[in-house]
Amino acid sequence: MLSVKNIVKQYANHRALDDVSLKVEEGKIFGLLGPNGAGKTSLIRIITQITAPDSGEVIFNGQKLNANHINQIGYLPEERGLYKKMEIGEQVLYLSKLKGLSTPEATKRIKFWFEKLDMGSWWNKKVEDLSKGMQQKVQFVATVLHHPELIILDEPFSGFDPVNADLIKNEILELNAKGTTFIFSTHRMESVEELCDNIALIDKSKKILDGAVDDIKASYRNNTYVIEYNGEDNFDNSGLFDVLETVEIKDTKRLKLKLRDGFSANDVLALMLPKVHINHLAEVIPTMNDIFIERVKK
Amino acid sequence: MNKILLIIRREYLSRVKKKSFIIMTFLTPLIIAGFYGLIIYFSYKGISDKTDKIAVVNEHKTLTEKLTSNKNVTYEYVDKSFENLKKILAQTDYDYILYLPDFNIDSPKGIQLIGTKQASLTLDGRISDSIEDLIRDYKLKKSGISQTDLDNLKSSVNIDVKKIGDTGEEENSSAGASTVIAFVAGVLMFMFIMLYGVQVMRGVIEEKTSRIIEVMISSVKPFQLMMGKIIGIAMVGLTQFLLWIVLTFSISALAIGAFVNKDEVKKMATSPQISAAQQVQTTALNDSPLGDIQQSLQNLDLGKIITIFIFYFLGGYLFYSALYAAIGSAVDSETETQQFMMPVMMPLLLGYALSLSVVTNDPYGNVAFWLSMIPFTSPIAMAVRLPYGVPAWELSLSIVILIIGFVGTVWFASRIYRVGILMYGKKASFKEMMKWFWHKA
Repeated sequence: MLSVKNIVKQYANHRALDDVSLKVEEGKIFGLLGPNGAGKTSLIRIITQITAPDSGEVIFNGQKLNANHINQIGYLPEERGLYKKMEIGEQVLYLSKLKGLSTPEATKRIKFWFEKLDMGSWWNKKVEDLSKGMQQKVQFVATVLHHPELIILDEPFSGFDPVNADLIKNEILELNAKGTTFIFSTHRMESVEELCDNIALIDKSKKILDGAVDDIKASYRNNTYVIEYNGEDNFDNSGLFDVLETVEIKDTKRLKLKLRDGFSANDVLALMLPKVHINHLAEVIPTMNDIFIERVKK
Repeated sequence: MNKILLIIRREYLSRVKKKSFIIMTFLTPLIIAGFYGLIIYFSYKGISDKTDKIAVVNEHKTLTEKLTSNKNVTYEYVDKSFENLKKILAQTDYDYILYLPDFNIDSPKGIQLIGTKQASLTLDGRISDSIEDLIRDYKLKKSGISQTDLDNLKSSVNIDVKKIGDTGEEENSSAGASTVIAFVAGVLMFMFIMLYGVQVMRGVIEEKTSRIIEVMISSVKPFQLMMGKIIGIAMVGLTQFLLWIVLTFSISALAIGAFVNKDEVKKMATSPQISAAQQVQTTALNDSPLGDIQQSLQNLDLGKIITIFIFYFLGGYLFYSALYAAIGSAVDSETETQQFMMPVMMPLLLGYALSLSVVTNDPYGNVAFWLSMIPFTSPIAMAVRLPYGVPAWELSLSIVILIIGFVGTVWFASRIYRVGILMYGKKASFKEMMKWFWHKA
């Protein structure tokens, strides 16, 4: 639904985006990852038409991105705020009317969302009377109210307590199930694994990695396993695997091991089963966190 | 376009609903009317309603004619010596002792005024005038002029200042009233541009610091947001100005009613045509300073002045508020605005100072002409010149230049604004701002 092609964005003394291309598929949650200052916000600002690229183009639903698309995109920036002196209801109404909703329609939807997210009594409250987490909820509602086809969330969970973070996460999944596409920018890798179908990793203005989360993780598997057991371990592992680390807690031992080429976990079990009591054996699949750190450090 | 209207509406309503706006709007006319009332009160009563009582010790041999008392000063000739009187002055009800020694009539020296408190400059002047008159009369009499001739010499002159207007008709005008209105217009214009220009700047800074700006400009263009804010606040200013005019006039009318003979005011207000009866009343009123102002006010085309004033307010405000918006977009907090405020404030202040001094003295001079052409100063200069009358061609030229001027500043400011609002944590400089100006969208 959205494809970004060879985008270049140059600021006075640095290049924020250098020939970045990526594709966001319809109905998917797309993770846009990268360290601070990598160029994520620059890219999002181009997609939301806050700034224009120096070269390259963005295609939205088969059309070159234009002013008509503004109302089909919802954007929750990382640096977000509300008018402090304005009443909540009026404020969300204002923001959604700027996205093209009529007053009665917007009012109906706001009431629905306020009810849904336990904000029923907030209509006449002023923003300055709300906690940061409460404000985030208001901002989330304002972002999704006009039923955008594409929602861009930049660090949506910062400032939320676990209960509300979960609430918002479920709303995201629900909207996604109904067909809304998401671009999700965050530094919290565990939420990337939890939510994202695909990711792109941007570092130093360039895209350095993209693809489906499962595929990427699979490609970073490297035959590493963890095994935990009790008993005498007088077996000979030479030729089968190398021990990367050993942890001993009372009489339980935990090994992290890397298999040599051509062997599988079954071979390890075959070697050890007769001698020790095995509690646990599992492959170590790299987390997005590991992959992120590994790729960005390079 | 619809989005700009939404923005204007929010900017307008959120300000008009504020308590401070409501208080300012209703309190200011009360204060103005209060001042107006005080001025009228004193012009009737005289600046000080206290009469100074003065004991005159006259030791002059030939100057026997007595000083005549008036409503401010009462002279009483006493038969005591100056030295003795000085000692007991505190116990008497005299405020001062005037000592006239036997001085040379051609170069009077040694006259003393002494009192328990310092005599004011005004009193000093009044007494000197009286003595000078006395000496002059004495000299004239000595050269053979009779008392009757002397009385006939004195005449009171009241000049009827008139001006030939654009239509060739003679218009009554009063330099005094024009100056008063010029001052009020100049001060109001300066205040409005400052007050509302700074409000635009504050609004922009508020959007930046509260971080709503990025949410906003993912829905609207920066130019729409800036213009919406500027226009919305302009309408707040207009609302306030119109309310002030209505309230000030109605409260002033009440205030005048309280001081002037009620019947006279009623007759003046109810008879629209200039009847003979009114003519008489106006002439009667003319003798008092209030009547003077009152009549000139009637002769000044207030409707025209207010209309043109509103145009210059809008033009000047647009001209400056765009610059203020650019400043607001470049900084992260209000404390950082100082270095940028200076160059914007300077021409405004200069225009203000020159308009209220040079222009009021010579409303048709070169300085007045140029100040009312340059768009940085023309709103204030024109506001000041209006009550004196401005040639139509000058007015049109100045209006055209001002329109070009504010289109220019709005364009200039919007280019800085669109980049500035997204810049956080960077200390902006003029150099930086010029870079933003040239930056492609």
